[in-house]
Amino acid sequence: MRVPHGRVTMPDGTFDMPFYRRMHALVQGWQTLDEIPADRLPNADDRAACERLLHLEARLIDGLRLEAWLALFTEDCAYWIPADVAAADPARFVSWEFNDRRRLEERVERLEGGRAFSQIPITRTTHIYSNIEMLTHGQDGMEVLCNFLIQANLLGRVSQRAGWNGFLLRRTEAGWRIVLKRVGLFDADLSQHNNSFTL
Amino acid sequence: MTLSATQADGADTARGRYDGYFRPGYAHRDIYTAQDVFDQEMLHLFGTTWVYVGHESEVPALNDFVTRTIGRRPVILSRGKNNGLHVLINRCTHRGAVVCRQAQGNAARFVCGYHAWTFGTDGKCLGVPLSHAYGPDFDMEAQNLHRAARVESYRGFVFASLNGEVMPLVDHLAHARRYLDEWIDRGDCLPVVVRAGSMRFETHANWKVIYDNAGDGYHPPFSHISMLRVFARRYGDVDMQYYSGNFDEAPLISRDLGNGHTLLDQRPSMHAQSAWERQHVMPGREKMWEALSEKYGEGPAREMLDASTGSGLNLNIFPNLLIIGNQIQLLEPLAVNRTVVHWFSTTLDGAPDEVNALRMRMQEDFPSFGEVDDTAQFEACQTGMECVPEMPWIDIRRHMNTDAGHRGEDGIWTEPISSDQHMRCYLDAWRRIMNAGAARACDDA
Ligand code: FES
Ligand SMILES: [Fe+2]
Repeated sequence: MRVPHGRVTMPDGTFDMPFYRRMHALVQGWQTLDEIPADRLPNADDRAACERLLHLEARLIDGLRLEAWLALFTEDCAYWIPADVAAADPARFVSWEFNDRRRLEERVERLEGGRAFSQIPITRTTHIYSNIEMLTHGQDGMEVLCNFLIQANLLGRVSQRAGWNGFLLRRTEAGWRIVLKRVGLFDADLSQHNNSFTL
Repeated sequence: MTLSATQADGADTARGRYDGYFRPGYAHRDIYTAQDVFDQEMLHLFGTTWVYVGHESEVPALNDFVTRTIGRRPVILSRGKNNGLHVLINRCTHRGAVVCRQAQGNAARFVCGYHAWTFGTDGKCLGVPLSHAYGPDFDMEAQNLHRAARVESYRGFVFASLNGEVMPLVDHLAHARRYLDEWIDRGDCLPVVVRAGSMRFETHANWKVIYDNAGDGYHPPFSHISMLRVFARRYGDVDMQYYSGNFDEAPLISRDLGNGHTLLDQRPSMHAQSAWERQHVMPGREKMWEALSEKYGEGPAREMLDASTGSGLNLNIFPNLLIIGNQIQLLEPLAVNRTVVHWFSTTLDGAPDEVNALRMRMQEDFPSFGEVDDTAQFEACQTGMECVPEMPWIDIRRHMNTDAGHRGEDGIWTEPISSDQHMRCYLDAWRRIMNAGAARACDDA
């Protein structure tokens, strides 16, 4: 499968069938990636900037600053939590969540509205990102793969989430921003408990 | 039998062993919290009635299988020769190991990992290594995997029973059959396919707490206020906003379908005109509409896209099958206070890709915006019931004494949407089946 280096999302942030095909191809590329080709290794400055973005992203989630967190995403973004571990086609296979910008805003609005019982009390989290790998995606794009470990506590019950994130980042006038956050739970196809906080 | 703290009224065994757990308008917490009641349910309820195990489209080809449970018993649903469906008890006849530990796959034979006893897709024992050691009288046929006594498919929905004397499946389904037909025939009668993945939620609650909720038309505007507010603010009077004010006056109904099966029907509200127009925005809505209306014209496109919206039905088939919107939910009891809720997503075979893509995004909507809040309540109920022995009774009185019910022309008893008749009906079936199961076990002993 050829990894698309061009634009994956629609400029207006909507999903059409070609969008799903590009998204599917991107993830299949990640699933079959061997060593990162030399011509796709980012320069040190870009790598450092993207790393800062990831760390900020995790810090804003853990600090429950979801409006600021949302501001890290582009207008055409997607927040995706698959329900499988085999990189199935999202147009034909259900995910836990596959949100466009609109639905991501709705998700935040629900959580911040004070009546989302699944998060009363709120789940406390600590996000740890590690094993960070980066590949350039065209001129102003970056693909980032990283492992995550989320330590969570809801109502005194400690639990963990783990897996790998696939990010697609874009250089904008405001700095690097998130076009895609794909949260690949390593047990996405198995039972999950309350994942209604921000993964 | 546990009847702790406050003794249930009239718990005399002469009237039926499980009658004492109920009094008019109330059910005793022990049916949700007591380990011995749970153990007895696995025997007398799941061990005697029809249990949903899977959909035929999950095992379309020869040797396809999925693993499921009947109560807690691991079973294999397999596709054998001549299109046959088999439900095998997934417990090795040798030393008891679970033979097949994969969720799904394709296998001509099941080989137990322990000592390699080997079984066919119909459970037939095909091989026992070094079998000479069992002596000359060893009977291979007697080593077959056990099979469910009865297996029947109703238009693709495969049910199994461990009870050879169970009533025919269509009798068991009673009036639920009509609604199952309506659900299946929705979407231009295109075949429903259950191969689009599933979500599994593990809930720290008794399986019946979840069954309770499946027919609870009282909770939506309260439990789901966070979701309803967001959608109202953004999209106005869309789906589920009809749960407001005195929604018992809205065209929404609760129906008793017999044998513990019930229905919440939102279609008179949701599908009164175009459900596609009424539904709030899902990712991809605009582009899919553009593509289909350009290709087929607006009228046909609207009809096709109606099939991407929720069915407007909550069809509850006792004890473990819940049809909600376009999903097939299966309840898997793990322990007295732990249950897995499987949400199988569905596609329509032969529908445009756009319709099925929208169906996927639509089937993610309620689980992530609504089910999570339901789950919080399930667990809160379980905790409250478990931890306060001084308050053993659960209230199921709504519309018991209001004379608001009526028998429809189709003979089906109908009540306002917020009625607790769902719980009264299914708990009555629970009590009858449990009493009969216990009596049978007594006779056998
Ligand atoms: S337990 Fe299965 S072969 Fe021994
Ligand atoms: Fe609900």
